[in-house]
Amino acid sequence: MSDELTKPTPPPLQTAETYQPVRGVIPTVEAILREPGRIAATLRQHGQGRLVLGMLAVAAFCSVVYGIVVGTFSGGQQLWAAPVKIAIGMLISGLICLPSLYIFSCLSGSPVRLAQVFGFLAGLLALSAILLIGFAPVAWVFSGSTQSVAGMGALHLLFWIVATWFGLRFLNGSLKQFAPRSSDGVRVWAIIFILVQLQMMTALRPLLGTADTFLPQEKRFFLAHWIECLEKPKSQK
Amino acid sequence: MQTPSATLAELPVLLRGESKPIKRWIEELAVARLRTAVFIIVAGTGAFGAAMGLWRAPQQAVFTAIKFPLIIFLTTLGTALLNGMVAPLLGLNLRFAQSLAAVLMSFTIFALILGSFSPLMLFLVWNTPPYEGGASTVAYRFVQLAQVVIIAFAGVAANIRLLQLLGSLSGSKAVAKKILFAWLTANLFLGSQLCWILRPLIGSPALPTQFLRADAFKGNFYETVFDAVGTIFSTKQPPKNNYE
Repeated sequence: MSDELTKPTPPPLQTAETYQPVRGVIPTVEAILREPGRIAATLRQHGQGRLVLGMLAVAAFCSVVYGIVVGTFSGGQQLWAAPVKIAIGMLISGLICLPSLYIFSCLSGSPVRLAQVFGFLAGLLALSAILLIGFAPVAWVFSGSTQSVAGMGALHLLFWIVATWFGLRFLNGSLKQFAPRSSDGVRVWAIIFILVQLQMMTALRPLLGTADTFLPQEKRFFLAHWIECLEKPKSQK
Repeated sequence: MQTPSATLAELPVLLRGESKPIKRWIEELAVARLRTAVFIIVAGTGAFGAAMGLWRAPQQAVFTAIKFPLIIFLTTLGTALLNGMVAPLLGLNLRFAQSLAAVLMSFTIFALILGSFSPLMLFLVWNTPPYEGGASTVAYRFVQLAQVVIIAFAGVAANIRLLQLLGSLSGSKAVAKKILFAWLTANLFLGSQLCWILRPLIGSPALPTQFLRADAFKGNFYETVFDAVGTIFSTKQPPKNNYE
């Protein structure tokens, strides 16, 4: 079998001349998964506010659904607290990182506008959240069959890494349509984005397990929090 | 005539380092562009300064938001005459106002980068344990390190763009490098001392929040560095230092 058949390749990116604009929520979800280039090409046109809002709504809705699955691990208050925290955390992380993404894009020589960068970031969040929905049944099965917070946390982290990787690939591919001199800036930004999201999960803890308060009383960096979780042998629901 | 909104729309061009339009701006010297540059420097470095100082106290955030842009402007103005004289001597026939505009544009890029990182800095500070009497200074060192990394990145990016601009204005990479080296030396020499005088910027956890330290004009940055190097080779007990 030839290499072309075995090697997985991302869907081709379309140019602004060949695309069909994306309209509506369901076509947006389909396009994000099957034709990311169509989303990018649509965003290159002016006045795509509805598409961006649609993608943000998809990101928020999907992260709420995934959050409910996360909440089923502990049940009770976590059934509403986890979805709220995951959706808000995801959107705030995006907003925190938006200015630096735009600056990195410009420094890379890309003629992209702030509104377009916002759209691509919304696409990243939407794609990640949609993929998390795909993992939700698996997460739900494990939630019912394990007692370990650390083990369940590691599983959710794995799903989040996979979803974010695809989201970042969408973003990188979309920004490449603007022919930047280099992708190094976006790679550095990706590291910043990942660190912000990891820290956001810690800042909004507990997402798994229970606590007396909605938000933590003590500030802590995510690595210190993970180490503490691993050191607690009986850290359970 | 350029409107403020039009000059704001030109900022991405500055970030991308498009030599032709930027060269034209330097030659035209439009007041609206210089005003925008000043506004961006105040807003960008002010926002980052506020995030820097917030870890220590809200009052320190206000002080640093004032002091950070002040350092940039005092450095730019303090070295403007020298920079304007050095450029023609090293082979680039720039007028005084043009050399000042080139430096201001470089600081505008610096401020834009810092401004874009200020939400991240704020998030970092929000997640850093606050200082409490007798607590470890690890968090303080971490905040310092993060700031140094971000400021260094912004400085490098701004100077790369300035080098490109000087290259396009002079038509020679060698001349551009010489001028940049000379300008950087002057700016860093004065800038370091201004940072020393206007300390604290983050605010040492062990010292009170103040706009200026009581000994602000006592000694200088270079004497302190010299003393610090001296203590490494000395057998005497080193004096207690407050790096801030």
